[in-house]
Amino acid sequence: MGKLKLASYWAAACGGCDVAILDIHEKILDVAAAADIVFWPIAVDFKYKDVEGYEDGYIDVCLFHGAIRNSENEHIAKLLRQKSKVLVAFGSCAIMGGIPGLANFKCRDDILKRAYFESQSTQNPDRVLPQTHYKVPEGELELPAFYKDVKTLADVVDVDYFMPGCPPTPAQIWAVIGAIVSGNLPPKGSVVGASHKTLCDECPRERTDKKIKKFYRPHEIITDSSRCLLEQGLVCMGPVTRAGCGGQCTSTGFPCRGCYGPVDGVVDQGAKFISALASVVDSENPEEIDKIISEIVDPAGTFYRFGLPGSLLRRAK
Amino acid sequence: MKKISIDPITRLEGHGKIEIFLNDAGGVENCYFQIPELRGFEKFCEGRAAEDVPQIVSRICGV
Repeated sequence: MGKLKLASYWAAACGGCDVAILDIHEKILDVAAAADIVFWPIAVDFKYKDVEGYEDGYIDVCLFHGAIRNSENEHIAKLLRQKSKVLVAFGSCAIMGGIPGLANFKCRDDILKRAYFESQSTQNPDRVLPQTHYKVPEGELELPAFYKDVKTLADVVDVDYFMPGCPPTPAQIWAVIGAIVSGNLPPKGSVVGASHKTLCDECPRERTDKKIKKFYRPHEIITDSSRCLLEQGLVCMGPVTRAGCGGQCTSTGFPCRGCYGPVDGVVDQGAKFISALASVVDSENPEEIDKIISEIVDPAGTFYRFGLPGSLLRRAK
Repeated sequence: MKKISIDPITRLEGHGKIEIFLNDAGGVENCYFQIPELRGFEKFCEGRAAEDVPQIVSRICGV
C-alpha cells in the first residue's frame, strides 16, 4: 500500500483547528512519513484547481474544519466529499456550526450592514456591499454568496466521522491520526477523539447537592476552586457537554461553554441544559424561579454558544 | 483578456484570492485581491455577556 493521502481544509473557521494539528509538534514528522499531504491551505500550496484534478476518492482522509457560511464553503465541501474516501467533520464549527454559528441569532442583512456600513473602523461612503458578480474594466470578478444561515458540514454533505472540540486537543488528534494510519477506525458516523461521558463525569471538582438560589457572573463571585462551579451558581455547561477537552476552562475556574457538543443520544445540547437547570433551581415558587432564571445573561447565546446551527432551533422551515 | 487566478492564497490565516488580468502583450493589466469570507463577529457579539466576548473573539483568528 502506498502512503496515505491526507487533506485538511478550513471553511468558515479561525484556523485554530489547523494550529491544533500542528501542535502535535515533532510528531508531524511521523505524519509526513506515513502520509502525503495533498491539500492544506494553511501549510502547503495546493490550489482548488489541483483538488479538482484529483480522481474521485483520491484523498484517503480529509479533515474538514469550519462551518458552511457561504457558497464557496459548500462548493469546496462537496468537492472534498467527492475526492475523499473518508471525510471527518473536525472541530465544533464543522460539526455544529461553532462560534460562527452565533450569526444565526442575527439577520443576514443586519450582519452585512454592521460589517460594511456601521463598524467604527469601516469607511464606505458609497455603501458598497460584496457582489457575487462584479464587472471591472478587464472582465468580471466573482465572490461567494453569503448565505442567510450558517449550516453544519453534515447539512450539505455526507460525513463519516465527527471529531469535536474548539479546537480538538493535540493529544486526541494524534490518537485519531494513529487510528487513521493503522486503518483502525470505528463504524461510520462515530464521534472520534473524545469521551462518551460528560465533562461533569470527568471533573475533579467536588459535587454535593445542586441547589441554586442565585446565578452569578464570574466577576460577582470568588469561587471555591475545589467545588463544582454550577453548584456555586456559575452557568457551567459541564452536565450536558461531552468530555475530551481535559477541563481546560473549568480547571482555571471558568465555566464550560459546551464546545465539545452534546453527548451520545442527545439531539439538542441547549435544550438538555434547560432541562438540567430546571432540576437544580432551589425554589418551588414560580415567581422566585423566574427571578433566579432571569439572572442568567444571554441564555440562548450561552446554551447554544457552539451549537446553534446544529440544534433544533430555527429548523422548522 | 487572459486571467490568472490564484485561489486560494495559502499559508496564511483566512481566505483570499488574487485575480490577475493580462493584456495582449502578456503584461499585467490589473490585479484584484479578494476576500471571499465574512463571518460577522461585529454583529453576533452584540447581546453576548461582556465577560464571554474574549472567548468568542479569540475565534476570529486561531493561528
